[in-house]
Amino acid sequence: MLTYVARRVLVSIPTVFGVATVIFLMVRLLPGDPARVIAGVLATPEDVDRIRHQFGLDQPLYVQYVTYLFHLLTGDLGTSTRTGQPVTQEIVSRLPYTMELAVVSTVIAVVVGVTAGVIAATRRGSALDLAISALAVFGLSMPVYWLGLMLIILLAIDIHAFPAAGAQNPLGFVLPSITLALFSLALVARQSRSAMLEVLNQDFVRTARAKGAPLRTVLVKHALRNALLPVVTVIGLQFGALIGGAVLTETVFSWPGVGRLLVDSIFSRDYPVVQGVVLMLAVAFILVNLLVDLLYAYVDPRIRYS
Amino acid sequence: MAIRKFAFLVVLGLMATACGNGSGNPTSSGPKHGGTLTVAIGIDPDTLDPAAQTTTTASQVVDMMVERLYTLDSNGATQPQLASAMPTTSSDGLTYTIPLRTGVKFSDGTPFNAAAAKAGLDRLLNPATFKTQPGVLSVIDTVTATDDKTLTVKLKSPFAPFVAALTQTNAAILSPASLTVNGNTPAQVKVPVGTGPYVMKDRVNGDHIAMTANKDYWGSQKPNYDTQVIKIVPDDPSREALIRSGGADVIVSPPLSDLPSLSSDSSLKVLKAKSDRTLQIIINTVDTNQPLLQKPEVRQALNYAVNKDEIVKNVMFGNATTLDAPMSKTLFGYCSVGTYAFDPSKAKQMLQAAGASGMTVKLGSPTGRYPQDIKVAQAVASYLHDVGVTVQGPETSDWPTYLGHVNVPPAQAAFDMHFLGWAPAYLDASQQFEQFRPDRIPPKGLETSYYANPTVTDLVTKAAAEVDQQKRKDEYCQASKQVWNDAPWIFLYNQSFPIVYSAKVTSVGAFPNEKFDTRFASPA
Repeated sequence: MLTYVARRVLVSIPTVFGVATVIFLMVRLLPGDPARVIAGVLATPEDVDRIRHQFGLDQPLYVQYVTYLFHLLTGDLGTSTRTGQPVTQEIVSRLPYTMELAVVSTVIAVVVGVTAGVIAATRRGSALDLAISALAVFGLSMPVYWLGLMLIILLAIDIHAFPAAGAQNPLGFVLPSITLALFSLALVARQSRSAMLEVLNQDFVRTARAKGAPLRTVLVKHALRNALLPVVTVIGLQFGALIGGAVLTETVFSWPGVGRLLVDSIFSRDYPVVQGVVLMLAVAFILVNLLVDLLYAYVDPRIRYS
Repeated sequence: MAIRKFAFLVVLGLMATACGNGSGNPTSSGPKHGGTLTVAIGIDPDTLDPAAQTTTTASQVVDMMVERLYTLDSNGATQPQLASAMPTTSSDGLTYTIPLRTGVKFSDGTPFNAAAAKAGLDRLLNPATFKTQPGVLSVIDTVTATDDKTLTVKLKSPFAPFVAALTQTNAAILSPASLTVNGNTPAQVKVPVGTGPYVMKDRVNGDHIAMTANKDYWGSQKPNYDTQVIKIVPDDPSREALIRSGGADVIVSPPLSDLPSLSSDSSLKVLKAKSDRTLQIIINTVDTNQPLLQKPEVRQALNYAVNKDEIVKNVMFGNATTLDAPMSKTLFGYCSVGTYAFDPSKAKQMLQAAGASGMTVKLGSPTGRYPQDIKVAQAVASYLHDVGVTVQGPETSDWPTYLGHVNVPPAQAAFDMHFLGWAPAYLDASQQFEQFRPDRIPPKGLETSYYANPTVTDLVTKAAAEVDQQKRKDEYCQASKQVWNDAPWIFLYNQSFPIVYSAKVTSVGAFPNEKFDTRFASPA
């Protein structure tokens, strides 16, 4: 098991290196002179040149690349051209907010989504199944931006139950978490429903019922456990995506997470921060994937890693 | 670890709630005071270091904590702030002697004096200062503290709008003692410490900046709220939702389309503050792709073709005034020079006479940079279409990409015409004429019409060094008339800067360069 983890980590090093290189080139392919964007439209040519020099943007591309890789090896992601803070510090200060939303909304999505999926599967074709499926389609197709504003109007403006924006209020996480959860929830519900349906038709379920096991036991211990693999995959992928910051949700609810940091950085052509956030995202995805693979072995003891 | 951070956030949140909105304690006379004022702005300030300021959004926050030698009043006129009077100028226009206020202290208790003022300006001019942007103030040659309350500034060349330029936030005076504490270095300031009515308390990047009242503020007006919190709310509708839900007391730039309903809400007040920003369709005056645009009469025809009043009324929801000069009314050097009244048949005739009927032009516009920007560009395109001009576009992109497309030398011009706003950093016509000077053609500046008229260039060069203020005014007026006639732009409008605030707040003001002023706001 440990060897397996070590091997996976080693194998991912070239991936991280590849991501680092691609993102380095991609930000530089974006149109727009970063020095001019940083300096503003009113800046004199001297000001723009000074800023270009301060950030080493006047150096040839290969020099910038080598410096970047060298710093990366020492764990230094560089300095934000927007704020002048170390990139690591920028990301670390935003990450807790993003993690908070990601964890809370994933918990909501898993608990509600799996429950709804199982109920829909066991009552296949019923009105309840239909309602759950319809709600799932609603959740998948609802624009986050619109949903967020609706929640704000209903729950923040009309009945003042929750704050409309910001992370300063302890209840501030509720509306963005719900908004963020809805999509994952719908996805998890659909996935659980179809996985359950598949499992419920299998012989071992009929056997379990035939030998007289209570329905509850059959559903939870026999069927759900077997249906969980694809569901875990979906949850893992969704969680990985959420760590990247839910850009729209964070914007609508003025949530100071990584997603907004990334958007602000792209719009100010802050190369080091964009590179840093994307790298962090790549690492997060790799780790979540690894975690999901390890979870497989827990969910299905037949899977062994050695 | 993560859990601990959540706990920390929750505690922080509870503290914020505990601070809560105070009701304000009435006193026998003067404004009420106490409590917290929450202001929502749209951009997370990149830096609070005065020397590196590039946006009014960040500068207006810095202005609450750090002051300059001169400032603007609400009408846009230059007034002494840390200086005690207007300076005396040598006859050659090179030496400015600035008398300073005495008895003023920085919020860290150290005294403000000529040495501190010198250190502030020197720091701005020092290329080692992180992202420093002296801009036009690089005209300063030396700064000398003649005595404790007199500052002498020598310029490299005569520069008439010097005092106006000193009103910019980048010329703010920091406490020299503060440059080595609180994580500050002489090269980079994170916590600005000045003489202002508010003092920095804390900042969570992307979320808020909190300031507390400077109890020992020197001015005759005093800060009334104990705390002011600047909330970062990037989305316009979210800012509106915040003030409607009571989560903010003041917001800037709500969605323009909602201003009528905000105005009719009795719990809210709307202040349509003046702005110095002009919005225009810039025409490539040396266009080789569409050479017809090189003719002034074609460009004039395009001005007659567009119904500016209707655009102001229907696309800007009345939050703008049609231009009657190539600059806003708030600038020194403004004079009304005329109008291109909407006259499509005249436009058609002029186009026909110039052989430009049915010409094709490519139009560009940013999206999300200015209120309603792309919608205004679409309206312009439709008016041009009505007089027989084929408009390709408007092609649009986000601001940095767009800026990259238009900030190019003439040979690389991507558009025949493009939508752009221009807001002088200080209220002097010289800043507006950066748009009409051939020595500012990219990459040296952002004169993207590539317009060059020797008459205008001469007048502007003369005016920049002119000591006689009346003569300067006349020169800018003359130059404005010439520019208006040459029509390097389709002159559109001067936008306003809407601020919405709760009826529970009073004395919310603004400066005519898109800065709000809540320094002396108080509970109503």
